[in-house]
Amino acid sequence: MSSTNEVIFNEVSSLFEKVSFEKISDRKYAVSIEKRQVVSFLETLKRKGFSHMSLITCIDWIEEKEFEIVYTLFNWNTGTTLMVKTRTSREKPVVPTIMEIWPTAKFYERDIHEFFGVKFEGNPDLKPLILESWEEIPPMRKDFDPEKYSKEHFPDRAYEVDFLVKGSENDE
Amino acid sequence: MTKQQSAWEKVANMLRARSLWMLYYCTGCGAIELPPTMTSRFDMERFGISPMATPRQADILLITGYLSTKTLRRVIYTYEQMQAPKYIVGFGSCTLNGGIYYDSYATINKLDLYIPVDLYLAGCMPRPEAIVSGFKKLMEKIDRGEADGWKRYQENYEWYKKNQLSALGEVYIHDEFHE
Repeated sequence: MSSTNEVIFNEVSSLFEKVSFEKISDRKYAVSIEKRQVVSFLETLKRKGFSHMSLITCIDWIEEKEFEIVYTLFNWNTGTTLMVKTRTSREKPVVPTIMEIWPTAKFYERDIHEFFGVKFEGNPDLKPLILESWEEIPPMRKDFDPEKYSKEHFPDRAYEVDFLVKGSENDE
Repeated sequence: MTKQQSAWEKVANMLRARSLWMLYYCTGCGAIELPPTMTSRFDMERFGISPMATPRQADILLITGYLSTKTLRRVIYTYEQMQAPKYIVGFGSCTLNGGIYYDSYATINKLDLYIPVDLYLAGCMPRPEAIVSGFKKLMEKIDRGEADGWKRYQENYEWYKKNQLSALGEVYIHDEFHE
């Protein structure tokens, strides 16, 4: 038995406080949830039909001093994508793990831990997944300057600019 | 800058230039231009160049596209496994100057600092015509004895090692396949 999106969203809204599902398009919705409720919220959604966790990603809102974790869920009965967003402070970014709900989340969490420095409480294995011998701050944070890092570590090729009139490369 | 070749070297280089086995290390998007170059339309094999699956039997190491530091470690491993004489072709603008990844924290900008490159194929991407023309150039260079990257690597090993270490920290690979 499959229920429509409205039925699922009404049922979930009655269980959690201050939750409003925002419609982006016909088959795309978004919702924000507090960090402490995120595990039970995702568990409820999974039981109601959003059984497929497509992706976990992270956004660095540097001016608001917050990280936003976005869980993208998919419902195979209605073909609907739902983005569940939660925020955590930038100084001490800790989010509970959702490995118990979707075991594959382990690797997304490792990835976010490596590239943003967000700690996932309860994930036993947060060792680096992609980078090797990385010593700087996590590279996907907005305050990391990749060009400066590249200049320091990987020398550029020196070019003789003889195919342009002198000074013309600065003219717009 | 033609070096004096002995008679034996002349014969050997002539033969080497006419039978090249190529290991294509598909690091980036450049690999997509190789199937048309290999197959019937451009038919690389008429020049005696054919693909080879293992580094130990290959003559050319073709680096197709950008190299991240992680891949560079593997490329150095692969290059050291190959038997001399061996030639490296840098393919696409990413190997020349970083290409569109010039400001990436993970991608090197200049391949010939780390391994000796005999020939660069510029372009993003070079078309099969450019690849075929590049290989013809490489064959001529080998014939004349100018493609001596493998000798330069032996002579300037300390310099290459120093550059590799400054970019990578260490060349040794720690992963499930190497430990």
